[in-house]
Amino acid sequence: MAARTLTRRASRPCSSAATHHVTTAVVVALGLALLVAGAIWDLGIGASGMSPGAVLHALAGPASSISHQIVWTIRVPRVLLAAIVGGTMAVAGVIMQGTAANPLAAPDIVGVSAGAALVGVAGTVIFAGLGGTALVLASIGGAAAAAFCVIGIAGAGQGRTGPARLALAGVTVTAMLLALTQALLLLHQTGTAGVFFWLVGGVNFASWQDIHTIAPWAAAGMAGAMLLARPLNILALGEDTARGLGLKVTRTRILGVLCTVCLAGSAVAVAGPVAFVGLIVPHIVRLLVGTNHLVLIPVSGLCGAALVTLADVACRYVQFPFETPTGVVTALLGTPFFIYLARSQARRTR
Amino acid sequence: MAAATLTAARPRARARTSLPVLLAGLVAADLAISVVSLSVSGAHLPLWAAVQAAFGTHNAYSTVVTQSVLPRVLLCWLVGAALGVSGGVIQGVIRNPLASPDVIGISKGAAVGAALIILVFPAASANLIPAGAFAGGILAFFVLYFLAHKKGVTPVRLALTGVAVAAVGDALIRFLLIRWPANINQALVWMVGSLYGRGPSAVVGILPWVAVLLPAVLYFARRLDVLGLGDDLASGLGERVELTRFVTLLLAVVLASAAASVAGAITFVGLMAPHIARRLAGGKHLRYLPLAALIGATLMLVADTLGRGIDPPLDIPAGLITAFIGGPYFLYLLVKAVR
Repeated sequence: MAARTLTRRASRPCSSAATHHVTTAVVVALGLALLVAGAIWDLGIGASGMSPGAVLHALAGPASSISHQIVWTIRVPRVLLAAIVGGTMAVAGVIMQGTAANPLAAPDIVGVSAGAALVGVAGTVIFAGLGGTALVLASIGGAAAAAFCVIGIAGAGQGRTGPARLALAGVTVTAMLLALTQALLLLHQTGTAGVFFWLVGGVNFASWQDIHTIAPWAAAGMAGAMLLARPLNILALGEDTARGLGLKVTRTRILGVLCTVCLAGSAVAVAGPVAFVGLIVPHIVRLLVGTNHLVLIPVSGLCGAALVTLADVACRYVQFPFETPTGVVTALLGTPFFIYLARSQARRTR
Repeated sequence: MAAATLTAARPRARARTSLPVLLAGLVAADLAISVVSLSVSGAHLPLWAAVQAAFGTHNAYSTVVTQSVLPRVLLCWLVGAALGVSGGVIQGVIRNPLASPDVIGISKGAAVGAALIILVFPAASANLIPAGAFAGGILAFFVLYFLAHKKGVTPVRLALTGVAVAAVGDALIRFLLIRWPANINQALVWMVGSLYGRGPSAVVGILPWVAVLLPAVLYFARRLDVLGLGDDLASGLGERVELTRFVTLLLAVVLASAAASVAGAITFVGLMAPHIARRLAGGKHLRYLPLAALIGATLMLVADTLGRGIDPPLDIPAGLITAFIGGPYFLYLLVKAVR
């Protein structure tokens, strides 16, 4: 009980409590609007273009019509996967940042994406035909190994990991994993371009099968994330205070990392490492709705879904009618933000 | 005065063997590997004949040895030394043993430059690839310095911004690879780092940089020790912190870019060599930087020789082997730190 009131007070400073409610409502409405608009727009793009009205008509229309077939078998899975991947990556970022108490912790920085990607390439190149749930499990394993490696290196011997240590350890482990990935690609030169497309990350060739593969993991990860919301709120008060309030800190941290790798690993297994969603979205959402994880997690999920859906719309205009991976767009969006973040972080740690 | 923080972080790392002995031992080891390396080629060459050919005796193997094998052995020395010293300086300036030219985006910048030439202008002369890589590395440094500059640069901001610059480079490379995929395999080999096909002209290309810049870095060694004490103390001791930091970083970056221009984006040599050197000789830059150069050369020699010898005629890129050595070494550091 004491813990609860304390968290509330800490996460919502009294003067801004009301404003946060209003902003949250606005952000949710805006996120939903963008998601729906992006989805309808995305559904209309393709070899046969459709206006928004035609899209809605095709969605609801008779199952025999050609536009109904196109939309339901090719385009709906793509949009759905974009939303799911965006949501899982964003929530993975929230949990990782809360767990590591480190604003730069994100699936891309901590090597989670690279670990899962290495396993994904191995699965495609060496064990051709490894797919579905087996690939997801393997990717989660790779993601977990990488994450524990980076957090271990960055935190070893020190009480708390500074952002610089975490970032450097993450980049080094990522470099190692990337080298191994490239080794695999060089030694098995068949289909390099296709694998490379996947390595950049994108939902361009999504099918219903992908949705079926990722859905249970995404659902489990999201449920786990919501269960971790309260413990993470308490952890945000500082390790000592959290321990004093009766929180099992180490257990919470391990569960947090597991939740992250479950979310990010399954997303990478299906769509490749779509870059920087897990870094950008939580930061922006936190600025808008505050630090209460009970609000932060669902709103980040929504905004992540909207972001990747819109990025998927944008990537189709890069070299239409050829496909550009969605990850290229998110990477180009994300890197300026990353630089800004690095600068402001360094100012704070100085 | 010159007890750098890097030593303070690891009090056990004391010099156990005297420096001349270490230097002589490493030179001897490098020479021995070089001799063995001379006889390893697509076809196995007799050791003695290969050595004779390398020293100018004309025999059946002269062409292969002087045009292909000997240049690669020399390049291993030069590239390894450049990367080792560059990594040592960057770790010293940023005061973080995890920093290296690959981590702060220099190698990525070089890779973008090379990938641009290889992928977008495939008809351009092959001589342009090293130039593109060199320019890319230097440009990445200036971007990094500009972005990290705000009333001077601090080590933490340099490190974080460097990571971000590396990420930008990564995004650009991905875009180039997807947009112009025709030469993707050549670009991939280059990005891993390999000495395959490098001849005498590559040696001539990198030799002046190493010959001029290594002594220059050693000239700054004492000032690097002072920088290691922290900005406040260093400026209290009369050091012009910002200027020294910029000049030494620039020297390190030019070395790394020169190495990348002939060998591609070799990873982990710039991270590992200074680490091992500090364990052997302690944290004073004047002591450990020469060792880092020799250890870098050792790593490159081992990697390139293995790459040629494991599965001929397949030439496994040296950068893959340094990553395979560097990964476990890094994990070993982790395990040791956890204990």
